Amino acid sequence: MIRFLVAFIVLAAAPFFLGDYHNDVYRKMLLWIALALGYNFLFGICGQVAFSHFAFYGIGAYSVVILLFQLSVPLPLAILLGIGICVLVALAVAIPSTRLEGFYLALATLALAQLFVVILNEGGAVTGGTGGIANYRLPSIFGFQVRGPWYTAVIVLLVLFTYWILARLDRSWFGRACRAVRDNPEAAAAMGVDVARTKVIAFTLTSALAGIAGMVYAFVDNTVNPPIFGLDNAFLLLFMVIVGGSGRHAGAVIGAALLFLLPFWLSPIVGHHHVLVFGVLMLAAILLQPQGLIGVFDSIRRKL
Amino acid sequence: MQDFLELAVSATASGCVYGLIALAYLLMIRPTGIINFAVGEWAMVAAFGGHLLLSRYEWNYAVGMALVLGFMFAVGLVTERVAVRPLVRQPILAPILALLGVLVVTRELISVSFPPDPLPVPFPFGIGRLEFGPVGGSYQNFFIIGLTLLTFVAAWLFFEKTLWGKAFEAVALNRRAAALMGINLSRVTAFSFGAGAAVAGLGGLLVSPNVSAHYLMGVPLAIQGFTALVIGGVGRVEGALLGGLLLAFAEQLTIRYAPIPGGYAQGVPLLFLIVFLVVRPTGLLRAKA
Repeated sequence: MIRFLVAFIVLAAAPFFLGDYHNDVYRKMLLWIALALGYNFLFGICGQVAFSHFAFYGIGAYSVVILLFQLSVPLPLAILLGIGICVLVALAVAIPSTRLEGFYLALATLALAQLFVVILNEGGAVTGGTGGIANYRLPSIFGFQVRGPWYTAVIVLLVLFTYWILARLDRSWFGRACRAVRDNPEAAAAMGVDVARTKVIAFTLTSALAGIAGMVYAFVDNTVNPPIFGLDNAFLLLFMVIVGGSGRHAGAVIGAALLFLLPFWLSPIVGHHHVLVFGVLMLAAILLQPQGLIGVFDSIRRKL
Repeated sequence: MQDFLELAVSATASGCVYGLIALAYLLMIRPTGIINFAVGEWAMVAAFGGHLLLSRYEWNYAVGMALVLGFMFAVGLVTERVAVRPLVRQPILAPILALLGVLVVTRELISVSFPPDPLPVPFPFGIGRLEFGPVGGSYQNFFIIGLTLLTFVAAWLFFEKTLWGKAFEAVALNRRAAALMGINLSRVTAFSFGAGAAVAGLGGLLVSPNVSAHYLMGVPLAIQGFTALVIGGVGRVEGALLGGLLLAFAEQLTIRYAPIPGGYAQGVPLLFLIVFLVVRPTGLLRAKA
């Protein structure tokens, strides 16, 4: 508990020393880390390749904005309803699609993610169409406007909350069941693990976490629009987890931070073609270092 | 009626393109079990090859086409060598993910090398209409239908009549047993990737005069082709064509006759994919015993 408190104070204090621009970069990096932690649990620990994770981020963001500003729902209720929507959609997707083996789940969820973008684009006044929804502000809470570095503290809280839940789950019976389902579903079933239920719970939980992160994201740029939630970012999330080291929380954090920050360092050299570098890094990770960067780190530490 | 027949010809042509992409998937899935999502990018690369040779350097169509397809075969072999063979002892997911990396690298290489606007690819017989009684359509549509039928007949003959085709089937049925019977697994895998890339390239080359070559054309084609494959089932070659035709008709009939905004038509293949995966994951045609 004390470790979490110290981590919170350090991470939440940092933005008070940063300018507006760096604060923005810092917030988005934290959001990517939260997403990657969840995706790592789904893909790295439970072995499900799904491309819908980023769509759930979008579902969370859009639902909270639509609930607050189109339906005038009060904030606490909007957050609860938003989580409810994510859980319901996740269950509706997970229950039929856990019957799908291996990469077929990936393609079903890929179709779902694309369908989500189509609906956003065609949603008319409800979703704002291709332009999305903009020019809104986070409502004040008990008369306070949470903004600037204080809002960054909310994001830090989100990341730590995500990490806390997932790390606890990983160490529990459920985490071991997930790893068993990933490595050998038949053996897991023989040991008394309900494979389908484990998959559904892991999918729903991580999707709901992505939805919550999306709700927090909605007030970072104060705009939501379809291109943000497209397929490119869903691929990027997968690359982050693979490059960092799938199945390890630290790997997800390293991968997310590195691939998020890399374009800023690379832009003088490769312009906006950094995705090429991502692809090469991802291929290199799979072919040469399946444990990812965290595996490199481990082997260096063992040698010392 | 006239309207419907016109639509039927163009739907058949786009269904043929989906069928070719589905056949490319099938050629690789049958012997290896690997879903190669990069087939869409291969179609895109062939479209750019077509632009380069046929439009920029104005080569003879047949020569240029043969060269592009030969190049695609080589691309398939290289991809297999780089991203599939080193991972042969790993779980099947490893090469599938590696091929996603190949997808992104391929797309970005093309986007670095060519301008970002859609680039023209010429029609082999120019722009014109062909009419057989009430059925009419553009030269290109009939060219697509003809070449696709030829390809499918060739693929069918290959699987049914040649020793190589039998080797493919044997590997698809049981890898270990096939290897014990003296079939060279890595050669079958390499050939399946080469052939898959050539077939996907043919699809890209055929569709590109209508839609122009663009570096983002790959993923939609990959999704449509995969949907066609899922509808038809991976068990039989003709399933790929059937699935492609069904998908294209569903798509075009929705756009033309359904009272929904045009943008939603993009959702048709996606809905089909989800519904078929969930309800009937083995496809419409059952594999031959």
